[in-house]
This record gives sequence, C-alpha cells and structure tokens, in this order.
Amino acid sequence: MGGVFHASILFLVAAGLQVVFGVQKVFNLACGSFYALGAYFGVTAVQWYISAGGPPAFFIVPLILAGAMIGLTGLVVERGLLSFVYDRDETFQLLLTFAVVLMMEDAIRMTWGTAPVSTSGLYLIYGQTRIAGAAVPVYNLLVIAASVVIALAIGWLLTRTAFGRIIRATADNREMAEALGVDMRRVYAKVFTLGTALGTLGGALVIPATAAMSEMGVELIVEAFAVVVIGGLGSMRGAFAGALVVGILRAVAISVYPALEMLIIYLIVITVLVFRPRGLFGGAAA
Amino acid sequence: MTERMLLRAEALTKYYGEFRALHAVSLGVGAGEFVSIIGPNGAGKSTLINLLTGLAQPTSGTVRFKDRDITGIGPVRLAKLGMARSFQLVQIFPDLTVLETLQAAVAARLGRGRRLFASLTGDREIQQEAVEVADLFGLGGRHALSRELPQGDKKLLDVASAFALRPEVILLDEPTSGVSTGDKTKVMEILVRAAKTIGLQAIIQVEHDMDIVFGYSDRVIALHQGEVLADATPSAVQADQRLVDMVVGRRPVRHPR
Amino acid sequence: MDLTARGRQMTVLPLVTAAVIAIPWVAPIYHVLLMLPFMAYGVVLLGLNLLFGYTGLVSFGHALFIGVGAYTAAFLTGMFKVRSLEVILVTAAVVAGVVAMPVAALCVRYVKIYFGMLTLAFGMVFYTFLLKFYKLTGGDEGMPVARPFLLGRDLGAIPKTEYLAGPYYLYSLAVLVIAALVMWRIVHSPFGLCLKTIRDNPAKAETLGIGVARYRWAAFVISAVYAGVGGALLATPIGNVDPTLAYWTHSGNIVFMTLLGGFASFFGPLLGAFVFIYLQDFVMSVVPFWRLVFGALLAALVIFAPGGLLGLFARRRARELV
Repeated sequence: MGGVFHASILFLVAAGLQVVFGVQKVFNLACGSFYALGAYFGVTAVQWYISAGGPPAFFIVPLILAGAMIGLTGLVVERGLLSFVYDRDETFQLLLTFAVVLMMEDAIRMTWGTAPVSTSGLYLIYGQTRIAGAAVPVYNLLVIAASVVIALAIGWLLTRTAFGRIIRATADNREMAEALGVDMRRVYAKVFTLGTALGTLGGALVIPATAAMSEMGVELIVEAFAVVVIGGLGSMRGAFAGALVVGILRAVAISVYPALEMLIIYLIVITVLVFRPRGLFGGAAA
Repeated sequence: MTERMLLRAEALTKYYGEFRALHAVSLGVGAGEFVSIIGPNGAGKSTLINLLTGLAQPTSGTVRFKDRDITGIGPVRLAKLGMARSFQLVQIFPDLTVLETLQAAVAARLGRGRRLFASLTGDREIQQEAVEVADLFGLGGRHALSRELPQGDKKLLDVASAFALRPEVILLDEPTSGVSTGDKTKVMEILVRAAKTIGLQAIIQVEHDMDIVFGYSDRVIALHQGEVLADATPSAVQADQRLVDMVVGRRPVRHPR
Repeated sequence: MDLTARGRQMTVLPLVTAAVIAIPWVAPIYHVLLMLPFMAYGVVLLGLNLLFGYTGLVSFGHALFIGVGAYTAAFLTGMFKVRSLEVILVTAAVVAGVVAMPVAALCVRYVKIYFGMLTLAFGMVFYTFLLKFYKLTGGDEGMPVARPFLLGRDLGAIPKTEYLAGPYYLYSLAVLVIAALVMWRIVHSPFGLCLKTIRDNPAKAETLGIGVARYRWAAFVISAVYAGVGGALLATPIGNVDPTLAYWTHSGNIVFMTLLGGFASFFGPLLGAFVFIYLQDFVMSVVPFWRLVFGALLAALVIFAPGGLLGLFARRRARELV
C-alpha cells in the first residue's frame, strides 16, 4: 500500500514531466526541484493555516491549494528562461533546466533553511484503517484517490477540451500546429505551468507523510526519470503505468532487500532503454 | 545485357505500410555507363536510390554489387565495397573546412580512422589526395568553413567528398539541383572529368534537367509511380513522345551533342 | 590552420605553463592547494570534451568514472596497501576503461536526450552501489585515501600541506601536461577528424564509410579513462572519497565547466575548470549560496554565450576549433 501511495505521488510528478516533454520536447530536470518547492511551501501553508486557527481536519485544503498555486513559478521559469532556448539544441535546453535545478536548490535553502521541516503527525488526524491486514493511514488513501481523480481530469482535459486537442496536436506535429495558427508561446507557457503545478502538487501532497528535506528535489528526478522511461516518454498512460511499476517495485524491494531498492529501478531503466526504448506506451525512440 | 553488371537490382519492391513506392523494379548498370534515372516527383526515385545504396531494406527483391548481395547492408559497409553517393538535400559537415571534409573522406577510405596518435596534417597521402580532389572540383577556398560556402559550392563539396572515396560506382541524387542553369554544364563537365581521373566505372544519377540527362547519359531509365516505364538510350526515350510527356510534362529542348 | 590562432597559442601557452609552475613559490598556500582540484578536473574535462565537443555527445553520468578512479585509489592505498601513485593512476585508467567498455557499448546506440538519460542512469547505479554496499565501500562516509608515494619516494615525513603544495602539485601538473599532450595528438589525428564528422553529420559520415557507433564507443572509453585518472588524482587532496563523487549533479557540474570554458575548443574546458573552481571558492567565501549564483551563470551561458568564455574571445569561433 505504501507502494501505491508513493506511486500516486510519482504519477503526479511524472505526468508533469510527460506533458512538458510531449509538447515541448524538453526533459525538465528541474521537475524534482519544483516537487521540493511544493513540499516546502505546503508545509509553510499548513503551518500558517493551523496557527491562524484553521480546523486541522481540513488541512488538506490549504495544502492542495498551496501546492497548485506555487506551480505558477513554473510560468516565471518558462517565460524568463526556457523560452529563450526553444530553438536551440536539446542539450542546451537540458542544461538550462539543470541551471534551474541549481538555482532552486539554493533558493529553497535560503528560504527554509537546511533542516527538514514537516507537519509532524498532522496527517494522522484522518485516522487509520486496515487493508489486507496492514494499518494504512487514511490520508494516504485520500492522496491516492486525489491522484486518480487528477489522472482522470487530465485524461478529460486531453481528450475533451479544445486546449487538450491543441496539446495533442502540438505533441504530434509542432510545425503543422503552428501552421494552423496555434500560438506556440502561449501553449508552451500553459503546458509548462501545468507540468510544474503537477510537480508542486505532488510535493505538497507527500509532505504530511514525510518531511521536506533539502535533498528531495535532486533525488526525485531520478525516480521520475525512471517512471517516464519505463512508461514511455511523452505518454500520460505511460506516466500512470510507470509510476505504478516503480512505486510498487520499490515497496517490494524495500521489504525484501532494502539495499537494492533503487538499484533494481535503475537496472530496469537500463533494461528498458536497451530492449524497448519506447517504454510501455511511448512513441518513436531516438 | 549479357556482360557482367556492376550493379544489378532484381524485382525491387518497397511498401511503406499500405503505400507501394516501388514495384518489381529491375535494372542493371555496367562498367563505363552513365545512367540517368528520371521521373516525376513521387515516382520512387529517392526510394530506389536508397535501396540501391543499401540504405533501406526492400520489401522484396535484391540488389547486387559486383555479384555481391548488398541488399540493406547500410552505408558504412557499402562505402567500403566501392560505392558512394551524394544527396539530394545537400549534406555537409558544417563545422569542418572544405579541406577537412575531403581529408575525412580520404582518411576513411585509406582506413586511417583507427590512427589515434598519428598526425593528420603530417599524413602526406591524406593531404595530397584531399588537395587533388579539391582542385579537381575547383573548390578553391580550402580553408573555408563548409557552412559558410555558397549553396553551389556546398553541393560540389558533397559530390566531391563522395568522389574522394574513389568508388567504382557513384550515385548522385540530383547533382545539379540548386545550381544555376549557366553553371550546370560546368558542374557536369567537372563530374565527368573527375570520374575519368579517379577511374570511376559507372555513374548513376537522378536528374530532372532533361538537357543534362539527354546530353550526358548512355542510358535513361524512366520511373513512374514506382515502376520502370522505359530503360533505353536517350534518343529512344526522346523519340517516344508519350513517354516524355508522361514523365517530364513538356518537350525538352534538343541539346546539340 | 589559422596562423594568428597558432601564433596566439605559441605565446600564451608557454607563459601560462610557466606561471602555473611558479605558483607554489609565489602564491599563498591556499591558492596553491586550490590548483590541485583544478588540475584533476582539467584531466577529466580534457577527456569529457572529446565526447562532448568533438563527438557531440553530452553525458550526464560521467562522474561515474571520476568515482571509479577515486575509489580505485582508495582501494589500492587502503585494502591493497599499494602506495605508488604511478600504479594507482594506471590502474584507475584501466579500471575506468574496462568499466566504460560495456557501458559505452550500450549508450552509444542512442543520441541526445536518450544518451543523456542512459548515462545518468548508469551514473546513479554506481552511486547507489557505492552508497548501499557500505561493507565494501564505506557507504556514505566513504573511504580514506592514504598519501601515495611519488615516483617511488615515500614522502610521509613531510607535513601534509607541504606535500600537497610541493611535490604533489608538480606531479599533478606533470600528469595534466602529459594528458593534454596525448589528447592533443588524439584530437589532431585522423581518428579525431572522424569524430568531428560524426558530430557534424552522422548520416553523411556513414556514407563515407565511418562506422559511427564504433567511433563514439572509442571516444566514450577514452574519455572515461581520462575521468578515471582525474578521479584518482583528485582523491589524495580530498583525502577521503565518498559516493557523492558519482552523483548526477556532479556530472552536470563537469558539463557545466566544459560549457563555461567553451566546448568548441581544445583549451576551453581547462579554462572552464579553472574559472569554475576559483569562482566557486570565491563565491562560497562571500555567500553560502554558490549554487544560486552558478545556476544563474549557467543559465546566462546557455542563453547568451553557448560558446563559453573562449567563444566570446574568439573572433571567428569556429576557427578555434583546433
């Protein structure tokens, strides 16, 4: 169950990665940093909420709001930095996202310090329940449910709305979409912001269960990267499937042989890249 | 066609999904021949070239070069066997100079690519040959960067680097496209002269300019919707008005030769 | 070759080399010691740029090989009681090369983003291995590196800083110079030219008979060997090797250094290493948030000056492509 919880969070971050890659063909190394940002900001929001006298039972509301809102920083990054390098080689785009990683690492450190921050046992306010003989915090179930809802919402967005159609068209064939009058700048700005918001939301939601730590950003990117490789670059379903695979595998590995935890994941990544670079649902590979 | 064919294609068929690009195309090119492949856009000329140069796999059929099956062997092995090609969309090495491009071709041919610690500029053979080819093609600015060359020179460089491999057979994909009409003859003369100098045995070209085609070819192969319509001498093809109209769409000007 | 570029190199290089040799005698100890990581990274970057600038492949996992070299040094001095730096460096080179061979074989089949991702994955595999198998590797505390003998001489009697700022400094410099000479040869060989063709237009290179994957593989392995030597060289001044040497951000930083100096030229990466290390030291002494500054620097580089520092200086950038 812990695996599924972890998978839900991973899905959110990975979905953000996928939508940005699918449309803009940029692999956002900083998605982990946004995740961390969401986590820290989420803690701050909840702490403020509690100290302002808000009923603890509803703490999840400011958490979600904070997580989503701080995603707007993605817009700043996109407009202020990324938009200058869309016409360059992918390598440079990748390096630019790395620059963002560096900057955000310190920005977070400057704002919140280096000690871990958390909301302590607040999430236990929702109690626990038993599933298959194990005690599972209800909060975790809430998060899983939220993830599924968001997944469905994304699916609906992509298939039923005009914006979704534009996203898919651009992902498929950018030149044609442009020729059809789509304003790339605005699409890119919106897509990137959506991507980062998903990441920050993931970070915010994970907070009650763990603590916000300075390393979480750079560590998560590798897992998120495993998810999108296994699931297939650019695919939403891939994000979902990949997140499930990684989340559950990790949980299994931890309980069986902890030292191998991430190693197994990486080895799977390498295997996938070698034998089926498209992943489970991806499009054409290199 | 009883003499030994240098390059022979048998019943080449290529499907891209449902779309039939080539159907049962057979042809042969012998030593000393200059063969032109003509046809309207979409006739399958580029597909044919890619199959003949082992760049793509046919759905069925074979390609043999000097009696060796080269179907789909890929460009690297093909170059080592003695066949070279140039591209329709000009291909250069943007950050290399003219001389460096030719040096690379010569070095690859001589198998010097393995030499990690030998000096490039000190290798007399490579230098000499590269300069020779540059002179042969009239590429004066040897130290000019490839990406800064005018379009016509880029084209010449692309062809020259193929020639630098001293192949036995060369396939040129529209060698005079992008070249101004006045210069086309000049380019062809350079090609023919270079071919003689390096001992080229056969030239195959895809060409749209009918004056060039009928002025230089020994044989013309007309392709239409993936099939061979005609495989004959220039005069025979020219005489067949129906053929000319279908393939070209206009009557060519008679080039005095 | 452009004569003015040649002329510039002929005058600047000897001066710089002389200055670097003179440093232990004229500069304060602190700066002398700072030169040591610069020289080690210099070796690493010479190799990395063979892959990056000359073959066109950007690896996000190259720190793996720095880690291999560093841990080789730790194992040799620790477990096997081998103290000769010559043996250490050669062993590090060999081990890095051997590790690189299968990794390269897998990675060179891909380009651009997939190559970057695959190398990142391998780097993190090694990092995790170093971290988790702590009985062997010391886990996150790492392993100590004993002071190696230089040219067979046990200099254990000299105080550490004197050892590092004196004999070890000159030794490192010698290694850097030798590494540079060898790389210069490689880059100016027919092999080097073929690499450049692959960087510029792999499809056309193939039609010339150049087997793209094979050359990329060779470039990868050579650059890994250099990284291994650099890593081993880095180990002694640090005194202790730990898994963060192989972390992906470390790989990102060395790519950063290469970009900073200018990846289109031979000496660019060396300049990049120098500027990076000194700037980092300077910034860290002023504010603790050097990453913020450096992140902004990298962003500025990518957006405004992708050719790096040397790219800014060069009149006609491509002419410096020696």
